Order: sequence, then structure tokens, then C-alpha cells
Amino acid sequence: MGIHQKIIGLFLLTSSLVYSQETPWSHWANQSSYFKPSLLRASATIAPTRFYTQQTTIALINGFVEYVLENRISVRGEANIMAPNGKLLYTNSPEKFPRNFTSIYAGFGYHLGKRNWKFDLHAEPGIAISEMAQPFLIFPIAYQWSISPSYMLKGGTSFYFSKYCHFFAEINYSNGWIRKTPLTSVSLAQYGISAGLGFHVITKKN
Amino acid sequence: MQRIFLVLVLIGVLQANAQDNRRYNPAGMLSLGGRSTVSLFNDHENEMTGTGVGGQFRLRFSDAVNTEWFFDYITSDILNYAHRTDYHIGWSVLFYPINNLYYFLQEEEFKPKFRPYILAGHCFDYSKIEAKVSPLDGPMSAERWSSAVQAGLGTHLELSPRFDISLTGQYMIHLGNHIETDYNFSTGTISFKELKGASLAGHVLVTLSLNYKIAKLWGFTRR
Repeated sequence: MGIHQKIIGLFLLTSSLVYSQETPWSHWANQSSYFKPSLLRASATIAPTRFYTQQTTIALINGFVEYVLENRISVRGEANIMAPNGKLLYTNSPEKFPRNFTSIYAGFGYHLGKRNWKFDLHAEPGIAISEMAQPFLIFPIAYQWSISPSYMLKGGTSFYFSKYCHFFAEINYSNGWIRKTPLTSVSLAQYGISAGLGFHVITKKN
Repeated sequence: MQRIFLVLVLIGVLQANAQDNRRYNPAGMLSLGGRSTVSLFNDHENEMTGTGVGGQFRLRFSDAVNTEWFFDYITSDILNYAHRTDYHIGWSVLFYPINNLYYFLQEEEFKPKFRPYILAGHCFDYSKIEAKVSPLDGPMSAERWSSAVQAGLGTHLELSPRFDISLTGQYMIHLGNHIETDYNFSTGTISFKELKGASLAGHVLVTLSLNYKIAKLWGFTRR
């Protein structure tokens, strides 16, 4: 083996070693942050939710819109609607609680972490709109709709992997009371999870 | 007399100069927020802890004085035979006892800080009490409009120059008409009595709010 072949061989070996120092995700660390003020993001997903005081699990459709006001602060609105025919996760049988359920929240978020991987905390006051199932009374009584004060606390993480898309995973806790019942008020205490693909766009230049 | 007048003029001139040298004046700051409220120690017989939701905006008048304009929707149980709904719409004045300018101004990187306050104010209140089980001919309820005054303590936790979380504890006294509920535990019958005239009935309200400063309606910010 000549000296030229040895040099070329060493060069190839060195270059391959240099290349191997780069992990598959290292280029993400070098990218500029997609998360910045004026970022608008939104998504919708299926969120399994457990009303743990009622031993009931249902599937909610969760949708949110969030706007980043500052490096760490965002404003967010979201809604949860009981999934129709959600038999896959629906264990509300015999039907007792609730027959229909929608909740709407608006609040603020606080975001920790650097660059494109964020840990998110949200606090959101809101309302729960629910229709109770017919109670087992000796005389018939109509189904009742009611609007109840509620709040949601949420924690999660988001990974912004492209200019327009990110992954998110969140756990949430919310609470409230349905007072408009013929019997004792019903707790809406619940915890749930949601995850999926979100979409975002920077709405202002610089 | 002339000396007193001269001293007052000098104080006025010095204050005017102090204002001129300032780079930031918080007067005119408008903020918007949402809030959750817990109602405790209700005066109504057998009324239990209530929970509520609402919104507010704040308009600041000076270093030491802010105002808060709020709406609350609060529901609570009266044991298991009735439930109560309260709508509050009102305003409070917030006074910041620590209004040292250097406490608010930060030349370097912002650091979160607490800003305690004393508040007092007034609100209008609509209350409705409904029986849990009503006769078949329709719901059984009583309602009233009243006025209330409130006072308490609180603090902002300022997490950024524009964003704060605020915790407030206050006592609200309702003035005016009063609803009393009579429940017969042996027969399960309920009746309402509406009492005219002034009577005092109050409750403690603990409120957690999230607020963001959205505009400066007047005043100046120099760079």
C-alpha cells in the first residue's frame, strides 16, 4: 500500500469518524428556535378523560389555539367536546354521567426550556356545559342542561421540529360542580391526556 | 403665609422635576385577565363552599393606585336541597403600599417579584336560589338584586413586565334585600322568604387571576 493510498484511507476514516460525532438530532440543536413571540399554534386531538369521582371514562375531542405573547408567556383558548359514539373509550354505561359534556377554557401559559423543546404550564378558568343523564327517581324528570364554573390546569411538553409543525403531549386536571341536579351536586373532577401533531406559524417578522 | 406658599411651590416644582426625569410612568396601563374564585364562610344557612369563574380588566392611575373591574359567576350548594347562583359585577381600588419607584424599575434583566396590595370596592349582585327538587308545575326559586361592598388584601406575582398572577382574599358584605330558605328535613319541603330592607350577609372570596397588560391609554414611556 502506497503512501497516497494510506493518506486517502486515513482521510476517509477520519471523515467518517467526524460524521459519526453528529447524532441524528444534532442538526435540530443548531437550528434557530421556532418558538418565539408571535407564534400562533393550534391543534385538535382525541383526549381520553377520566371523571375519577364518577368512575367514568369518556373520549373528548380537544382543540386549542395558542398565541405566544413573550418568550415565556402565551395566551390560550381551548374546548373539549364529548366525542359522539366514542364507544372505544366510553365506559359511561349504564348511562349516568353526563349525557353531554362540553367545556371551554381561556387562560395563559408559561413555557420553560430552550430552543425548540419546551415544557409548558397552563392555568385556564372556564365553564363546563353539561347535560345530566336521567336520574333514577320514582317520578320522571327532564334531562337538565347546566353551565358550571370550572378551571383547568395543564402541564406538558412540545417539540417544534419544523417551521410549521410540532409534537405535543399534555396531561390535564380540571374541576367543577354540576349544581342543577335533583340530588347531591355532581363533581366534574377529571384528569386526562392529549397528544398529537400541532401546527404553527410565525405571524410577525422580526 | 408667604413662606408656606413658597415651600408648597418649591415642593411642587421638585415633584414636577422628578416626574420629568422618569423614564416610565405606569399610569394609563390597561390589563386584561381571567379569574377563578372560591366563596367561603357564606352567611346563608347551610350554604357550602362555592366556586366561580369570571373576568376582569385593570386600569392603573398612578404608581400607588390601580383599579380592577370584574365580573364573577359563582355557584354553591345549600346542603343537598337547594343551590345558589351569584353574579357579581363591580370594581375595586387597589393600593400598593410598597410604591418605591426603584422597586418597580429594573434596569437589568427582569426578575419575578411580588407586589402586595390593599383593595376595597363595591359591586352589584344578582342572586338566585333554586330548589333541587321542584314541583311538577315548574321550578321553585327566589331571586334578588343587591349591592355589596368588599375589602381585602392581595398580591401580584409579576412573572414578566406585562404578565402577573394575582391572589386576593377579601370579605364581601351584601346590603339590601335578603332571601332565607326554610327546609323541613322530616317532610322534605322547602320554602323561601324574601326579607325587605337592609340586612348584612357576607362571605369570604379568594380569587386567583391571570392578567396581561395590553395597552397604555395615557402617560409616557421613555427609552
